[in-house]
Amino acid sequence: MDLETVKERAGPRQFAPKDDMPEEYRKAATRMLQFHANSEVMGGYLEKPFIRQAPSIDRKLAFSAKVQDEIGHAQLLYRAAESLGVKTRDEMLDELARGEGKFLNCFHYPMESWHEVPMIAFFVDGAAMHRQVTLKNTSWTPYAHAMDKVCFEEGFHVKHGESILSELMNGSKATQEKTQAAFETWWPRIIQFFGPTNDKSVHNDFAQQVGLKTKSNDELRDTFLDTYVPKAEKYGLVVPEYPRIEYDEANDTYHVNEDDLDWDEFWTIAKNASAGSHEQINSRAQAQEAVEWVRESMHSWEGASGAGTPQAAD
Amino acid sequence: MIWEVFRQDKPGAYHKHCGNVHAPDRELALQFAAVQHGRRMKTHSLWVVPRDEIGEIDTDETSFGGTTDKTYRWATSYTDIEPAAPEVAESEAEQADVERSLEADS
Repeated sequence: MDLETVKERAGPRQFAPKDDMPEEYRKAATRMLQFHANSEVMGGYLEKPFIRQAPSIDRKLAFSAKVQDEIGHAQLLYRAAESLGVKTRDEMLDELARGEGKFLNCFHYPMESWHEVPMIAFFVDGAAMHRQVTLKNTSWTPYAHAMDKVCFEEGFHVKHGESILSELMNGSKATQEKTQAAFETWWPRIIQFFGPTNDKSVHNDFAQQVGLKTKSNDELRDTFLDTYVPKAEKYGLVVPEYPRIEYDEANDTYHVNEDDLDWDEFWTIAKNASAGSHEQINSRAQAQEAVEWVRESMHSWEGASGAGTPQAAD
Repeated sequence: MIWEVFRQDKPGAYHKHCGNVHAPDRELALQFAAVQHGRRMKTHSLWVVPRDEIGEIDTDETSFGGTTDKTYRWATSYTDIEPAAPEVAESEAEQADVERSLEADS
């Protein structure tokens, strides 16, 4: 299929592995899927320490289930990416381990206290879901199918994250202040979740033309703000003065003043070149090394003759 | 030789198992599948898979779980939280459907 035909036919779930897709399409879809899959891995690793630090058994169980989900989402997405025939799953995982694979800006920052948890678990997950639901209509069918399952599971993540935020913002004054401080730190990063503005985005136009994306970065950012600014305010969080958020009365939507955001930092992160990038990539490498014995024992068990009946995880 | 048949009713939908055909090779299996399973039902695409290539595990062989109380991992459990956005409400509704089907079977 040539690129013109792809653009003509572009629509929800239009293309499948049996279609002969041009290289430009396969590369663009691989880049999107690999970024998405890598982000699921890195988000899971960022949140993993909070299974241990969770303040109650309920939170611990829910957090452990959530981290398990995120790693599962990564597996689904690497499979969908593999189906494009550009890179294998192993190649993509190796690139991530070597620090070459790109991933979401929010996961390049350390997360140290429980007060920061809802910034990821509510706002970033809410932003992710806001974007992912539009990808149910992506033109690459395996991607859309992965989104069906991801979105099914993600509702729990967002509600659980909001439940943590609600608990913190109904806590002591000191707890509320710490949560507000965490919000101020994370808020600009959360807004940058949606990537560069349309005019600075390198890949946006092509991805929309071939139906990989159905909404632009700017549209998604604005509609996210419409929902989540009132939510933050409902819990008593004060939206920082900068970046300036302006309400556009004519269109009943919020806009962010993009000049108030630190785009140098964003592009440094996009190249995996910030201090935080190195820290997150290295801490994952350490975690991988620490559990190498688990992989080894699984390999030797799988390799042993007459491996018994597999047990489903309960 | 038996081939299991999976039908997709429209582009982008899932291929769902719909039956099987007897055929000596893949080419004839596809033709028979088109006639037997594609003719009456709305069909966009069919897959045929040799039965021997399909692995199966069932409740006689393993316990699939689901007996442990895992309410903490359902959006529906967080009753004091209203869904933040339409997409969250949609996810919760899908989960509620599955919960109902689990209850109906138990």
